[in-house]
Amino acid sequence: MSAATDMERTQRQATSVGAGALLGLCLAAACAAPFVLNGYGLYVLTLTGVFALVALGLNLLTGYAGQISLCHAAFFGVGAYATAILTQSAGVPYLLSLLVAALFTACVGAVVAVPAMRLKSLYLAIATLGFGVVLQKIIFEWRGLTNGGGGLALSPPVIAGYELRAMGLYYLTLAVVTLGIWGAWNVSRGRTGRALLIIKESEIAAGALGIPAARYKVIAFAISAFYAAVAGGLFAYLVRYIHPENFSVGLSIAFLSMVVIGGLGTIGGSIVGAAFYVIVPELLRGIKDAPGLVFGLLLVVVMVLMPQGLWGLVRRLGRRS
Amino acid sequence: MIANLIVGGLAAGCLYAMVGIAIVVVLNITDIANFAQGEMAMVTTFFAYWLLDSVGLTWWQAVPVAILFGMVQGIVIQQVVIRPLIGSPVLSAIIATLGLNIVLNSVAGLIWGHQTYTFPSPFAFSAPLMIGSVPVPVASVVSILAGLAIVVAMTWFLRFTWIGIGLRAASQNPTVARMMGVSISRTSAIAWGLGGLIGGIAGILVAPLLFLDTNLMGALLIKAFAGGVLGGLHSLIGVFLGCLALGVAENLVGAYVSPAFGEAITFIIIIAVLIVRPEGVFGRVKVRKV
Repeated sequence: MSAATDMERTQRQATSVGAGALLGLCLAAACAAPFVLNGYGLYVLTLTGVFALVALGLNLLTGYAGQISLCHAAFFGVGAYATAILTQSAGVPYLLSLLVAALFTACVGAVVAVPAMRLKSLYLAIATLGFGVVLQKIIFEWRGLTNGGGGLALSPPVIAGYELRAMGLYYLTLAVVTLGIWGAWNVSRGRTGRALLIIKESEIAAGALGIPAARYKVIAFAISAFYAAVAGGLFAYLVRYIHPENFSVGLSIAFLSMVVIGGLGTIGGSIVGAAFYVIVPELLRGIKDAPGLVFGLLLVVVMVLMPQGLWGLVRRLGRRS
Repeated sequence: MIANLIVGGLAAGCLYAMVGIAIVVVLNITDIANFAQGEMAMVTTFFAYWLLDSVGLTWWQAVPVAILFGMVQGIVIQQVVIRPLIGSPVLSAIIATLGLNIVLNSVAGLIWGHQTYTFPSPFAFSAPLMIGSVPVPVASVVSILAGLAIVVAMTWFLRFTWIGIGLRAASQNPTVARMMGVSISRTSAIAWGLGGLIGGIAGILVAPLLFLDTNLMGALLIKAFAGGVLGGLHSLIGVFLGCLALGVAENLVGAYVSPAFGEAITFIIIIAVLIVRPEGVFGRVKVRKV
């Protein structure tokens, strides 16, 4: 028996070494990418990073805690607007306003979590969708602060006297995504992640083990709103023009799709799912008439052939080799 | 004034309810929230339009054929897309229906283009009925009656026919139902067929009131979900009444409280109701054994 555990341990060490090497390789490739890509390619890659950040947060909520949210586009929007307003109008340094905006949005996320304590599945989906509509409407109608339907045009942010252009923003996004992966890894491996997994399986069992489900749901909502808001703050300065319409229910559904396509409850899945959702439509843009048709078909095919998501496939291939 | 607003709200609510019932039949039997329901209904409606316009059938001939088409469409989609996903995470199936939603929308766009069509209706030019002093459009009356008829027919079907009882058994406990000889894959196919059928009726009744284009059902789908949740997804009459209430609330809030925040306030009402009654107004709280 001890031999078996030993073997298991060496195997686990081997896979973790393999995973570490793979991660390092990906990071190196990501660092080198700007020297190979043109401006458009860099934009697509930065957008992938931004959406991956949202997906990382949403995956903690949906993949681990099993709570469906259709208001993450609104969190994303609140983060974008808060960062933009703090930086542009209040003159707060960009990195600080990213952090403050994210903390503020985390509080909003905690408030949204209150009905989530009682609601389940589709009821929760519709309630969060309602919150999304309300938040988007507030952004739209609070014209004095957000300029309403006119949108906000933004100039490039400045960090320590250095103006952040496309390349700088890409490296900032890369750094934040790396931090985000590290954070999500810690949360999912730690006490919170284990608690969330049990809550997903059975709230009654969680309660019997002395896990306060309500508190952990609020924490999960707040953390994932934090991720979405940081991504929003990066997004605002990536596109440099934000409009309330950017943050509609359709985007929330897209975020949820990323998480499911990538793989529920996996960190790699969040990244792969975001990449699929951003890059595939860009590749299909050349096909006349039918980019939607091909993308929709791919979505169906991926789900039918890989119900556990793309990351499940990656993992299976990794195990075989 | 207020009576007119309520009648208008009821008419809109009926449209939500039609789509809502189609969604709920599939949801209750298979656990899958079908995001493609609206687009399936849209395709059925375009098929009916094609029968009327190019084949030259009359309305009363075209509609039954189109509704049959809707049912076959539902069964085909279930066999091709949903059947392989039985037993996988429910969210995967839901995202697959989302992909289907995009596919059907693009296919309809390729076949019929993105212009709008006027869909005929035998009730379009009838004079409105006067109820008291309030004029009520005949189309609204037809929608309400059709919605009620579907609720009654479905309730009868699920309670009193062998197939219906099998469907309910499969939704309550698939394992036991299977031991009693109920085929899970067949019940799922029947549910999707029924969803397609009811959705088709909804599309054909909705299209004359709006214009027929590929985005016919987009807005209705979310409202149908919201109304269904408000009423309680486990009761057909709850879904019907929830959707009617949603339509009326939207109209009244828009007129009396705030036109700009109309939709937002409606959703706040829904959230407030859900906090008090997490399973919807007419929903029963499921008793779960550990």
